[in-house]
Formats: sequence, C-alpha cells, structure tokens
Amino acid sequence: MTAEDTLADSGLHFDDLNKLRVLEPENAQQTGELKEECQEFVGKIAEFQKMVGSFISITNDLAQEVEKEKMKAIGSRNMLRSIAKQRESEQKQLQALIAEKKNQLERLRVQQQALEKQEVEQNEFIDQFSTT
Amino acid sequence: MRLKLNVPKAKGHSDVATCVIWSSADSVLSCGDDHTILKWDLLTGESSLACKLGSDVYPTHVSQVPGQSKGGRNSSNLFAVTSSDGKFHFFSDGGRVEKSVEAHTGAVLCGKWSYDGSAYITAGEDGQIKIWSRSGMLRSTLSQLSCCIYSVAWSPESDQVLYTYGKELVIKPLQPSGKLVKWKAHDGIVLNTDWNPVNNLILSGGEDCKYKIWDSYGRLLFSSTAQDYPITSIAWSPSGELFAVGSFNSIRLCDKAGWCHSLEKSSTGSMANIAWSNDSTQVATACSDGNVMFAHCVEKHLEWCEYEVTLVSRKSVEVHNVVNDAHEALELKDRVIKLSLAFNYLIVITSSQCHIYSTDNFNTPSIFELRQGNVSFIMQAEKHFLLADSSGIHVYSYDGRHLCNPKIPSSSNTLVLNSRTLALSPDVLAVKDNKDDCAVLLFDALSGKPLGDGRPVVHKLEIIEVHLSQCGSLSDRFLTLVDKNHDVYLASVQKQGGNYSLAKLTSMVQSLSWNTTVNMLCGLSDSNLTIWFYPPALFVDQSILPSTQFQREYPELGKYAEISFYHENTVSVYREDGSLISLAVTPYPAVLHRLVSAGKWHEAVRLCRFAKDGALWGSLAAMSLKDRDLNTAEIAYAAIEEADKVECINEIKNIGSKEVKGAEMALFCGNSLEPEASLLHSGMIYRAIQLNIDLFRWERALDLAVKHKTHVDTVLWFRQIHLQRLHRSETNSKFKKYSQGVNLNWENIQAKIDHDLAA
Repeated sequence: MTAEDTLADSGLHFDDLNKLRVLEPENAQQTGELKEECQEFVGKIAEFQKMVGSFISITNDLAQEVEKEKMKAIGSRNMLRSIAKQRESEQKQLQALIAEKKNQLERLRVQQQALEKQEVEQNEFIDQFSTT
Repeated sequence: MRLKLNVPKAKGHSDVATCVIWSSADSVLSCGDDHTILKWDLLTGESSLACKLGSDVYPTHVSQVPGQSKGGRNSSNLFAVTSSDGKFHFFSDGGRVEKSVEAHTGAVLCGKWSYDGSAYITAGEDGQIKIWSRSGMLRSTLSQLSCCIYSVAWSPESDQVLYTYGKELVIKPLQPSGKLVKWKAHDGIVLNTDWNPVNNLILSGGEDCKYKIWDSYGRLLFSSTAQDYPITSIAWSPSGELFAVGSFNSIRLCDKAGWCHSLEKSSTGSMANIAWSNDSTQVATACSDGNVMFAHCVEKHLEWCEYEVTLVSRKSVEVHNVVNDAHEALELKDRVIKLSLAFNYLIVITSSQCHIYSTDNFNTPSIFELRQGNVSFIMQAEKHFLLADSSGIHVYSYDGRHLCNPKIPSSSNTLVLNSRTLALSPDVLAVKDNKDDCAVLLFDALSGKPLGDGRPVVHKLEIIEVHLSQCGSLSDRFLTLVDKNHDVYLASVQKQGGNYSLAKLTSMVQSLSWNTTVNMLCGLSDSNLTIWFYPPALFVDQSILPSTQFQREYPELGKYAEISFYHENTVSVYREDGSLISLAVTPYPAVLHRLVSAGKWHEAVRLCRFAKDGALWGSLAAMSLKDRDLNTAEIAYAAIEEADKVECINEIKNIGSKEVKGAEMALFCGNSLEPEASLLHSGMIYRAIQLNIDLFRWERALDLAVKHKTHVDTVLWFRQIHLQRLHRSETNSKFKKYSQGVNLNWENIQAKIDHDLAA
C-alpha cells in the first residue's frame, strides 16, 4: 500500500500541483464545472423570468383593456336597451299628453258647436223680424 | 287651467320623500325616508333642515292641526307625523318632538287631524283605526279589521270616518249606534281617499289605476279611465273646486266634476303625497326620488259678456275684449289667488290685496288691503261683492269701500261657507245656517243686519243650495232653496202674515240659477232645461205655473251638467266632460218683464200677440194678476184658454166695492185666510160667512155666525141643503145643537142676504 492510498483512505489527496486536497481532483474539477454551468443556468432562468414577467404584464394590460372594452360594450348595449325603453315611456307620456289635448280639443269643439248653433238661432230670430 | 310645475334646485331628501304639508302660505314641510323633516321656503326656493328623526323612524304621513294659522304667517303650528315603527309623534313648529306615542303594531300608515282639531285618527298595518285626543291619549279604537288600512279621512262635520278596506271604502260614524256604509270602490286595492268638507264629495284612487268620485252615500259620480300607473296620491283642494291626482311621473289637475283640466309629466318618480295650500292655488308633492315638487294653477279662464280673462302666470292677468279685440295686460305685485268677473267688474285677489277693475277702465283699479290673506271665495252682485274667509264674510262696494260684516253664528270653531250655501243679491244676503241645516238666515246686504226680525227661513229638510233673485226691488226678491231631495222651494224674502211662505216650485233639479238681468229662473234636471219666466206665479196663481215655464230637452247636455251662469238670453252649462255649452233662450220674456215693470200693459199684450207663445201669455197672466191689472189678466187668461178664470175675472171686475174686490182677488189667487180677515175687518160679516160656506168650511162659518149673532139660520139652511144633496144626516154636534128649535125660512134668509149684499 502506498502512501497515496493511505492518504486517500483518510480522505486526503494531492493534486497535480501537489497541493493537499480533500476532494478527488476529478470530482473537484467536475464540481467546478457544475458550478459554472449552474451559474449560467441561473442567469438564463433569470432572463427567462424577466421575459415572462414582461409578458405577463403585457397580458395583464391587455386583459384590463379587454375588460374595459367589455364593460363599455355591455354598458352601451344596456344603454341602447334602456333608450328603447326610455323612448317607449316618453312615447307613452307624450301619448297621454296628446290624449289630454284631444279631450281639451273635444271640449272646445263642443263649445264652438254650441256657439254656432246659438248664432244660427239668433240669426233666425233676426230674420223673423226682417221678414215680418 | 293647468299646473305649472317647479322642482326646486335646492337639495331634497337623500331617500324617498314620503309626505308633505303646508305650514303656511309660503312654506312647506316635507318628511323623507332619510329620517329628516325639511322646511321649504317658497319665496327663496331654499330648503332647510327642520328636524332630524331617529335612525329607525321612517315617516309615513304628516298632518297639521287645522284652524290655528290665523293670519297665515309665523303662527305656531302643531303637526303630527306617523312612522313605520308603529308610533306617532307630535311636533311643535320649531321641529321639537312634543310627544311620541306607541300606537299600532306594525307601521302606522295614515294619521289625520279632524277639522276642528280636537281629535287625531291613525290607521295602521294591523288593521286598527284609533282615535286620539289632542294630547295624544287614546280615546277609542274605531275598528279592528283583517287587512291594513292605507288611508282614512274625516267627514266634513268630523262625526264620521272614511277608510279604505282592501278594495272597499267604508264610512263609519263615531257614534256606535250609527249605520255603517260600505261599498266596493275599485277593482284593485284602494290606496288613497280624501273627503272634502266644502262639497262633501269623496275621492278615491286605487291600484286599478283609476280615480273615482263618490257622494257621501257612496254613490258613484265619476270614474276615470284606467291610467298607465296606479294612483299613488289624491287630494282635494280646500275650496272643493279642484283636485290633484298623483301617479308615476305624472300629476293631474281635475275639476270637481271629474274631468281633467291638465296632465303634467315630470321625471321625479311616483308622487307619494300631495298637499294643497290653503288658498287652493298651489300644490306640493313628495316624490319618490327624494325631491319635493311644487306646482301652481295658471291659465284660469273666465268669461263675462264680451270679456275674457285669463290668469297668464302667477302675477299677471290678461283681459281680452272679444268685440273690439282689445287686449289688456294687468300686472300685479303679489301672487294672484282668486279671480272673479261679473257685472262688468273684474276682482283680483292677491295674497295681500284686493284689486277691483271696472271693465270700462282697466288702468285705474280700486285697491284695498285684505284684512286676512285667506279668501276662500268671491261672490258678486250688481252693486257690491262679497269676500268670504275663515273669519266670516265681508261685503264691499265696487269702489272698494267696506260695507258690512254680517255676523254669522257658527256651530263649531270652523265656519263652513261655500258658494252653494250662500247667495248675494243687491239688497239681501242669504246664508245657510251653520247650526241648523234646514234654516237660511237673511241679512241686509248693505248694513249686514239681520233682515226683519232676524228669524231664519225654516224648511223641513236639509238645504243644500241657496239662491236669490238678482233684480228689481226688495218686493221682487225671492229666495230659492234646493233641499236634500233636490226639490226647489221658493219664498219671498218679505214675510207674509209674520211667516216666510215656502212653496214648492219643482222637484228633481240638479242645478239652478237666477238670471242676472231679469227675475227669471232656470233649472236643469238631467238634460232637460226648464226656465220659469215668472217664478212668483207660484204665489199668484199656482195652477198657471206650468204655463209660465219653458221646457226643452237638450240631449247634448248629458246627465250631470251644471249651469254656470244665466245671463241675459244665454244659459251657459258645464257638461259632465267639462265643455261649456251655451244655449240661447228666447229674448221675449226679458222684454216682457221690462214692459211690465214699466207698467206698459198694452205693449206687453202686443208683445205676447206677436210672439204667440203660451208660456209668455201665462207669464203675463200671472204678472197682471199680481199687479191687479184685470183687463190684461182677462186677455192673457183668454189667450191660454182658461175659460173658467176669464169668467171669474169678469165677475170680479164687476164688483163695485174695493174691499170685496180685493178679497175676491185674493181668493182667486188661492189665498183663503187673507180675504176672510179683510172682509171681517171691513165689517162684511155676511160675505165672510158666505165665503166659508162656499169653501165648505161649515164649522168656521157657524162659529162666525154665532160670534157675530147673525146669519146662523143662513148657515144652517145651506148646511141642510148640502146634506140633502149628499143624502146624509147631520153628524156634527155643533150643528145639531144650533139647529134645535130654529125654524128655517128661506124667504127670511133671502131677505136678510139681499139686505146685507146691498149694504
């Protein structure tokens, strides 16, 4: 058994530069690589997150816009409907007013008729004098 | 006429406004579901918080103690508010709660003060109706019913209560023994009722979208067509001439006959409550959007001869002369309350002054300050006019001079006066007695003193209308009464034999009016127009009365027409639907009246011959008989083919003695007591006895004979003959007594008679 093996048993290694190491040089190297790769991965993920974030915010904005438009559409649709109703009630009101005016007109017509009749009678009365 | 709406800019209630009331002529109190009572000033249009109610108090109805506001302004008023928590609250004018009383389980829906202000009635969801004293103590529970009572109203005398009961209306007297009147009023639930103290009519509005008018017996007088929305509120104007109907987004102004003056639309939601101002010119409404809306009546239109007067706006009046097309615009300082146009004078009452315009000159009116702001009506006569307010009546001349203030005794502290129970003529004023419904008081119109000995004209039935003839002297002044049965009675305002003699003229008349220029009377029953050319004929020769009248059916008048006025030769009639119909009547009777009053009998006869009208001859007969012009009477009676009367008149004409002639005339006129008295007075005993014998008043004849110790045998002789003719024997003990031992000799009797007649 060499000294190296003895050292390896106790978890100590020498690297190429004869420095004492607690990890096997290969492992240490791979670990180093892994770390670098991880860092790279984290960087990429962060970038991705940023991109997704902006995407989400854009979508949100869009959703809000859509919601707003939707409400607007519903509102105007309701308004349209209520205008129809409003018109209907206005029409009803106007019709009621017209009916009232018609009544009034009828009253005045009757009054005029009576007056005309009276005029005729009075004229007849006057004629009675002019003929006799 | 129409309502001019005005929604004030000032903020209203933040929740539904539920009720309003006029606290004075220019201020209104309104309650709302936002638990506040607001006070509105109409002059500025501002609202201010009068009172904040508890957060659990939802006001439902407000009512003010009547008869307090003397003078109208700044008086301390007590009002009561009912609320949905089953209580009512008494408030002083300052808005302080004087008292809160737990009244009902569930909401109190309506609460009203009686007209004398002594009792307060509440009705609630629990179906109970309770009456409370002025201090808020429970007096009695009037009814306990199974459904909620939406509305109650007092009768004019405050002795009965009207309430809604589902689809029915019920009138219940306060006296437990009184009879209940109950009728189905609407097809839907009745939401609102009102009972006017002046015209005694009942209004109701229901969920069936109709409003109806009833009389106090529950008879239907008018029913509207179905409106678009249920009737949420209804209210009589205090004068009883108009009423307002509130519904969703609309308010209607209607005449008391039911026809609609105008319809106004607003966008304030349903009108929860309507209140009229005391002068009947303004309306306040509580709207469901929290606003309080105000309205006043404009475009009131009057006509007289060639003049047309229109109230253009609150403070301006326009006069139009139709003949020369002249327009006059009259501007006034204050709000116009009442207008009246008659006898060539226009009277404009504003809130503080009275303006009298002569139609000859509209530039210089006579103006005087009113003693009291609240004039309820104007009545005009030829030389003077009358203003009635809550304190009584005042007569003024047309130059604005105060003539008198007749003292009218009133039964309670409220004085119910209206143009139907009051009549003014150039010299006499007649007023229905407030204490006794069957009596009419007469006053001298110029001095205000009671006429004669001040005793009233008493009729046996309740009087509903009083009219006076308008022309001639005091001896031509006749009073016409219309009683509860719509029978017309006529009486001279001068007593005859210490009593007013009431005589029935006709029956079943729905409207009556005297002519303004000649003493003629016209009456309307259904669509039949009757004109009495000479109503006093009733006292002259009752049998001739039917031939002094003109009768004609006018189918176009319909059923419930009402005479507006009868001026010169035109009768103006308001039809049921509100159209004014003028009817021409013959001008001859007016001419005849004028000729007769000038004593021109010849011309009168010639006029009748020319007109060839039976009624005219009849009138002339009665007139000539009244004035004892026998020649004319003979001609007139002959013309209407009353041969017996011509004969009789001929006989009377041949009588030499003045007294006997007078007595015979009186007898001819159907008066049997007066001639006897006058004959006895002038010592003609035999004639008096003979008069009684002729009238088959045997006992009286015998009494007279015995009393004057003459002609006992004559009476017995005639009695004997009378009995023989009838084949009867004597049953009268008096005659038996006197006939004992008397030897009847016709020759003796004959001689005595001849002797007396010659004397």
